[in-house]
Amino acid sequence: MAGIPTRGMRGSDLRMTTVARAAAIAAQLQEECSILIEHYRKKENFPPDVSDGPLVSVPPPSSQLDTRDKLWRLHSALEQCHSLLERAIAKEEEELGGEEKGEYENRRKTVKERLLFLLNHTRELLRAADGSSIFTPSLDGSELDDPATLFQLKWWVYRIFMEVKYWSQTAIAVLQELQSDTAKTPSKLSKRSARR
Amino acid sequence: MPHLPNSPTAKPNYSSVWLAFVLLGISAINTQAKIAITVPQQVSLSANFSTQQLSISWLGGEATTFDLIILRTEFNETVFYDTVSAVLNQDGGQHQWTWTSVEPLECTSLSVKVRSREGKTISEWSEPQILEGRDLPSNSVQNMFPQDRTVPVGANTTFCCIVDEGKEFKSILYGTTVMNVKRLSRRSYATTAVNQNISGQSGTNVVCLSNYPSRLTGAVIFVGYPPLLSKFECETRDLIIAECQWEEGRSTNLYRKNANHYSVNERDCPKRQRCTLSQWDGNWTLLAVNPLGQYSLTDSAEVSHRVHPVAPVKLTPVAHAWNATVHWEWTYSSYSSLALVCQVELASHNTMLGNFSGVGLRSAVLLDLQPDEEYKVKVRCGSQKNFWKWGDWSKALSFKTKPYVPDAPDVWMWMNRDNTGLVVWKPLTRRQSHGQIVGYKVTLWNSEENEQHTEILSPESKVLPVNLTRWASFSGDYKVIATVIAKNVEGMSQPASVLLRLIDDEPPALAQTVYTSTGFPLSWQHNDNSTCGYLVEWCNALCTRDCPVDWIRLDAGNTNISVQSADFQPGVRYNFSLYGCPSDFPVLTHRWQGYMQELAPSSSVRLEITQQGCDVVLTWEEIPLAGRRGFLLGYNVYISNGSQLTRLANLDLGTRTYTKKGLSVSIHKFTVKAYTSAGEDTGGTASIRLESCDGLILEILASLGMMTLLLATVAYFCYKKRRWVKKAFYPDIPEPKLPGDWFRTQGLLDVKPPPHSMVHIIEKPERDSSKDALVVIPEEEEDDGEGIGDEPVDTDEPQSLRYYNQVVDERPIRPRFPDSSVSSSSSVDSANTDVTYTGIQTSCSSLVFRSDSQCSSEGFQPHTGFSVSSGDRGGGYQPQMQPVALGGNLASPEPLVEPQVVSSGGYKPQSSWLLDSPTETDEKISPPPSLGSPTSVASTQFLLPDSEEHEEERRQPSSSAAAWFTNLLSSAKP
Repeated sequence: MAGIPTRGMRGSDLRMTTVARAAAIAAQLQEECSILIEHYRKKENFPPDVSDGPLVSVPPPSSQLDTRDKLWRLHSALEQCHSLLERAIAKEEEELGGEEKGEYENRRKTVKERLLFLLNHTRELLRAADGSSIFTPSLDGSELDDPATLFQLKWWVYRIFMEVKYWSQTAIAVLQELQSDTAKTPSKLSKRSARR
Repeated sequence: MPHLPNSPTAKPNYSSVWLAFVLLGISAINTQAKIAITVPQQVSLSANFSTQQLSISWLGGEATTFDLIILRTEFNETVFYDTVSAVLNQDGGQHQWTWTSVEPLECTSLSVKVRSREGKTISEWSEPQILEGRDLPSNSVQNMFPQDRTVPVGANTTFCCIVDEGKEFKSILYGTTVMNVKRLSRRSYATTAVNQNISGQSGTNVVCLSNYPSRLTGAVIFVGYPPLLSKFECETRDLIIAECQWEEGRSTNLYRKNANHYSVNERDCPKRQRCTLSQWDGNWTLLAVNPLGQYSLTDSAEVSHRVHPVAPVKLTPVAHAWNATVHWEWTYSSYSSLALVCQVELASHNTMLGNFSGVGLRSAVLLDLQPDEEYKVKVRCGSQKNFWKWGDWSKALSFKTKPYVPDAPDVWMWMNRDNTGLVVWKPLTRRQSHGQIVGYKVTLWNSEENEQHTEILSPESKVLPVNLTRWASFSGDYKVIATVIAKNVEGMSQPASVLLRLIDDEPPALAQTVYTSTGFPLSWQHNDNSTCGYLVEWCNALCTRDCPVDWIRLDAGNTNISVQSADFQPGVRYNFSLYGCPSDFPVLTHRWQGYMQELAPSSSVRLEITQQGCDVVLTWEEIPLAGRRGFLLGYNVYISNGSQLTRLANLDLGTRTYTKKGLSVSIHKFTVKAYTSAGEDTGGTASIRLESCDGLILEILASLGMMTLLLATVAYFCYKKRRWVKKAFYPDIPEPKLPGDWFRTQGLLDVKPPPHSMVHIIEKPERDSSKDALVVIPEEEEDDGEGIGDEPVDTDEPQSLRYYNQVVDERPIRPRFPDSSVSSSSSVDSANTDVTYTGIQTSCSSLVFRSDSQCSSEGFQPHTGFSVSSGDRGGGYQPQMQPVALGGNLASPEPLVEPQVVSSGGYKPQSSWLLDSPTETDEKISPPPSLGSPTSVASTQFLLPDSEEHEEERRQPSSSAAAWFTNLLSSAKP
């Protein structure tokens, strides 16, 4: 895995490398997600200007959150996104899947794998910061209800894609902030974590 | 409602009573009628939302017809109103009628009322029963109906959108199409998609848009087809289990839950086009069902008629050189009693099929195989009786046959005219070699003397050079036979022999053959007496020695062949030779030549061009054979007009010269192109400058005549004007006027030569023969020889100078005899000049001598040739150089007289030729004795004016012109 420390590297260097990689993955995920959303929107003839509320439940953003809290919030959101995406794909296959897999299915699979890759990096970063096991947030119960109709399923899938895109963008911002913080004070994260 | 009127009388009245009874009866009848047309009771609604059907039931008394009215509750719009004959439910005594709504029943609330009807008698409407829609305020969320509907292609479907409470409806999209909308209620809007086309795999979305963009409401509809199947049949592989298959005649475009569901004999078939039944039923019914309908097919057969054998397994070969046996096994033991027909596919360079049959067949023998050959074999079988279909192919089995001795090679020969040649044979093909060839053994055998010579050659060899002349016993009568044997790992081939034939006669003439799509067609007459076969050989016609010959053998009786070879190249001439009895005693009987494809010649003729009189003659040689690339048909002769070629003639092949007449005097360029059937070559080109032919002699004669006339005119003019000419150009030199007291008188010097001052003129002095060379003027002689006017007139001057230089070499500069009294008297101060001319040789360029028209010393006249200039300063001539009189004999005792130098301010020499001669310079170490003394006025050089007299010269152009003219004449003399 990309985030596994390499022998001989200092802790701050490892974090820098992991953060940089995670940021790059997030950027890639964001781009792939944008393509997937556009593909799906055209496929389903969804109007471009519609949106809906978030599917992911995380604490609201606050200026009082420090970098680690932001990272945790990001990780939690990504975990939920991944869980939602897995369910959405399974449900979609069950209800709407055809015999042949096309471009859409391939892009969807790529986004899911990229999201998992990013998730592993954020987990690694959190582990490096906290040193303890990561609490995996649970999804809100209401969101676990499967869509009642096929249209709701499609709309739900679309919203999940939008959610993944949103959190990939957020990941880019958080990881960039983390990069700059790590560059300034390499041990800040771990020290603060120690205080927690 | 009718009622009984009150009677105003108290007494009973029979009539009144009767009337009362009548009225009562009528009233009773009316009352009875009222009771029969009862208002329907217990109206109840039962909705099937998926089918959009509303089942209405009521208790309707005795009435058999009912009026039904269905309204949209909110807008009180009538949706349905009709008189129906409701079905009476025998159990509950209820009437029931089912109505199918165009719109989904959820779209809006519906009110249903029923009344009884008997003819025109109707009851009151029942109390309205309301089927609540989803647009009630209690259901405030936005919604759309119907959901997840599956309809057949071409159907019409009405959708309704119920917008959020308090939100504003915008539009409904069917796919990407904005639909026309009808408002059903305050919050409900409906649209109908008509003649719906097939949808995508995930259905077609119908989207409801409101001014609440964050919430997207919609429905998905699938448009497809009901099932349609074909080719349903069942068969068995193991003679027990039935395997049924079918094909979908048309894709339903419905997937997952909407996809077809299949069953055979009411047993579910999870696979899409195949179903396996554990026993052979003999009759089968296939049923396919999807939301849009169902379809069924049937099949029936006996098991022995539907045997589809499995593939044979475990194929094993037993291979020999020329045949092999293939064995296999069957998966099911039941095949052992089954009569089978099997097909064996044998693949090598080509593929062959063979059929074998038998009960429980397990092997096949393959014949006519090739030794040392790779084969692939596979087998499939079918039921021999009641054949149903071929079974599956087995996996391919590869095997290789064993090697065998090779075939005898095909041997031929090529003989050169010097009795050397080649023994050639065709390399054995894989099919002929029967194994890896390890070498060739070639034996040359003289049958007469039983002398033989053997060589072992490598497997790659296909030719052996032979030289028959080195055979000691070789002569024209003896026959040498070459025998070739091929060897492989299995042994040696049969020997192949060829008689090495001598070239002893002239070959037959070559005939032309034209290549066709099948090759070069060759035909000949068959000799009935001959039982031999034929051999046709061919090779490149350019080859003359040790040619790489190719050949083909023909059986006896053949009279034609079409020779084809992959080696044939376009533009190459091939020679074909037909030999009879090639194996015994080859006899060359016919020869042909031809091109596979003729091309334009690659080289051009070498053109030579000459002028003959007024004509131009073109000649050229034949193009070499290598450059022809086709049969030459002739030549085209062109003349070049700038960049264009104009054809002058088309000549046949035998003509290689062409004469062009009537050309003008100019440069002409000719091109000659040889051509074949494929076109011309690039052409050989030559050009010529055509000289004038008719007017040339005339022009020369005219020029000569003109020149003669001109010279005659000049001569005549000079003769007529000789005095003027002399006066103008050769005026008499004035008498010398010596300064001082030398001359007391101003008159002409009366020279009376004293006895001691006599000029001795030696007419023909004896000259030293060695000096003749100095006297002779080769250039002048050449000039004479070339004739007048041939050379420019001003080119004589250097020749004169040269002449003088030669003269000066021998020029006596000072008196040779200082002790001579005569020579002592040659002082410049001496009034008496005693000059002795001995053998004077001088230049004819001197104007002085020229005026006398005598250039020889014999013609020298002292009074004119010896010019004595006056010593006066003014107006006289200053000598440019010393007049040189050559003494023919240096030993002559007569002194040379140096001319007096006339001091003059007039002209001075342009240059001193005396100084031009280094020899002379060397010799003239001491200043010449004539310096400061009057000397000769003879000069061949222009006289340039002194600088102080330049102005005067300019003022007197006539005199300058005269001087120029003088010089011109001077230089113009020969």
